[in-house]
Amino acid sequence: MKRFAWTLVCFSAVLTAGSTLTRAAGDVSGASTPAELVASYNSLADTILAGNRTEHNLVKAILSATYRHGEMALKAAKSSIKSGQGAKGDIEKLAAFVSQLGNEGDASVAGIRTRLLEGGHHHNAKGEQQGLFDEGYVIVTRAAKKALLDSAMRIGKLAMAPDAKALDTEWAAVTRQYNEIMK
Amino acid sequence: MTTGSGGHGGGLLSAVLALGALLTLSARCAGGAPAPPSMSPHPAPAPGAESGLRFVDVAEKTGITRVALSGRPEKDHVLDSSGTGVAWLDYDRDGHLDAYIVNAWKLSDGAVVEKGRNALYRNRGDGTFEDVTDRAGVAGEGRWGCGIAVADYDNDGWPDILLTNFGANVLYRNRGDGTFENVAAAAGIESPGWNTGAAFFDADGDGDLDLYIAAYIDCTMEEVLAAQRNLSWKGVDNVAFGPFGLKGAPDHFFLSDGKGHFTDATEQSGLTDLALGYGFSVRAADFDNDGDLDLYVANDSNANYLYRNEGQGRFTETGLWSGAAFDAHGAAQAGMGVTVGDYNGDALLDIFVTNFAEDFSTLYKGDGHGFFEDVSEATGVGPATFTSLSWGTVFADLDDDGDQDLVVANGHIYPQVDRHPEFGLTYAQRNLLLENSGDGRFVDATARAGAGFAPAALSRGLAAGDFDDDGDLDLLISHLDAPPSLLRNDSARGGWLTVDLDVPAGRGPLVGTLVTVKAGGRTLIRDVSSNDSYLSVNDPRPSFGLGAARVVDLVDVRWPDGSHASLKDVAIDRFVKIRKER
Repeated sequence: MKRFAWTLVCFSAVLTAGSTLTRAAGDVSGASTPAELVASYNSLADTILAGNRTEHNLVKAILSATYRHGEMALKAAKSSIKSGQGAKGDIEKLAAFVSQLGNEGDASVAGIRTRLLEGGHHHNAKGEQQGLFDEGYVIVTRAAKKALLDSAMRIGKLAMAPDAKALDTEWAAVTRQYNEIMK
Repeated sequence: MTTGSGGHGGGLLSAVLALGALLTLSARCAGGAPAPPSMSPHPAPAPGAESGLRFVDVAEKTGITRVALSGRPEKDHVLDSSGTGVAWLDYDRDGHLDAYIVNAWKLSDGAVVEKGRNALYRNRGDGTFEDVTDRAGVAGEGRWGCGIAVADYDNDGWPDILLTNFGANVLYRNRGDGTFENVAAAAGIESPGWNTGAAFFDADGDGDLDLYIAAYIDCTMEEVLAAQRNLSWKGVDNVAFGPFGLKGAPDHFFLSDGKGHFTDATEQSGLTDLALGYGFSVRAADFDNDGDLDLYVANDSNANYLYRNEGQGRFTETGLWSGAAFDAHGAAQAGMGVTVGDYNGDALLDIFVTNFAEDFSTLYKGDGHGFFEDVSEATGVGPATFTSLSWGTVFADLDDDGDQDLVVANGHIYPQVDRHPEFGLTYAQRNLLLENSGDGRFVDATARAGAGFAPAALSRGLAAGDFDDDGDLDLLISHLDAPPSLLRNDSARGGWLTVDLDVPAGRGPLVGTLVTVKAGGRTLIRDVSSNDSYLSVNDPRPSFGLGAARVVDLVDVRWPDGSHASLKDVAIDRFVKIRKER
């Protein structure tokens, strides 16, 4: 749907440009870019910049939802530990959510990121050049990614020897990292 | 249990039978000479000592000469550069290791110039091979070949050949009379596309082999033919078209019905390629030691996948939180080839993944519970592999000193790099031999590994196998636009034992068998797979270097159905045959 809207904007811009150029052909005093085209481009710029903001907000929403799911998985894991039930599944789920915080989503999101990169879109082009962000990442810095992936692995290992206190400690570290990137 | 021919005084022999598995042992020594267990004929190289590694290319002399066609000389499309696999197999079960070479096409000016023919070379047993491709009917059906996997998919006791193609896959069923028939369409696994690595393995524990096939990018031959080099390389030259800017193609998982037909069960098995990663190599192995086979997929430019087998044919992707998806810095790399072995002798499986140039290939140390740690830097493999663009790779104890070395096949994908020597890269590159020091580190032994490792080449596929049955592993390597190399291993070496596993018709798969050898205070493991390395297949007979050990204390075989067969006090320097009786 978004792609369709984008195509419509571009198509309208081209149509406008065509008619403007036809009208301006005999106007010797018109040495400037046709105003209609500038207006169209401005409008397009608004759309592009809004797209970037939307992308930022969307990824934030992904991270926020993932964090909430992590909270629930932590609660379920602790409950399972307390009741003496097998907590392996809940702990591994928590590990998966934490790894998705580090990876800005699961493999499906990674697929979208790849598509955007294929199209030449780098949300944090400057940050990538500076080595602060992995290619295509919007919010999670390279350092935060590494820290979150490490946490995810430590949590995953706790599935073999469930320990509520250790889970709390790891989750606190995850939360600190999460709060930092969501500022 | 019966003791077969050989009678080389193999010492006390015993067998532990579990779950009804029986065992047949026969032994033969290299050259037929018996070796009493009380003395070693080897000069007892100390673990980690610099050994006399020597390899010589005997491909032409032995008759392996098929040129692997590889698209256009300028490698306009990434398909032109991706190369082909090689395999060791004993297709006629005569006890000698035969060789198979996959071939692609030659292109020029937007057209197909020549469709390459694959080649099957029968080992005559005298150190030479004869081309039996036509007689066997395995030329590849004129398709652009990529990879190969070998396994007895129909459980009739004969090894079958799966060829992954750019196009429809080919499944050559071994008729058992020296000929094959392509049954891919009837089996339901043609799956047209750019198919790459493939692994047969019993995913659901029902005793038959299922199949995972990775795919690279979504493109057509018309697009390949029309490709213009458009990727700016370091801002100084335009190089190949793709993979960047191209859509990944989904991998597929096929569940066998045990009657020769497969059904696409990718989604219901939890194996959906959600990221549409550029899949290259696949390897099934029991990474968490729970008795079933998990799956590792090396993706180019994307996170690698580790699918943990939950039993009953269900998988969970654990790569992101198990340490196996990224490098130590949390970065996705350009996975090409994968080999699985045990580099540090802890009897736990490790993974080695080859990557692009100017990035290191990655050694993941396994903890036996499905978690991994990137130890590339600490072990020395990182610095040693940083410059080269790496493809095929094998863990192999090349000097039989008791630890597994690493071989890495190299070659860049952009011929244009040679125009820019200022970057310190070359198109053709030397293959690497990383010798295991026995202390958890590898040293680059390429320069002292003999003439076989001297030339720079455009290597891709790589497979290890003891084609001359002398107890050391030789190396078969494919190159772009050139005949393969067969690097005969002439190294000084320690003692050895090779286990020849025999699974007759109807007794379940061989793939997934784990062999453990205890000797000289060490515990060594090897698993049997249908494929390894980059699109290639190793010798199916697990090979063990024993160093100075004079006797093998224990050989334990864990068959895929969980039953065991064991031997005690086995003499060294020989093949032992172990048959699965039920």
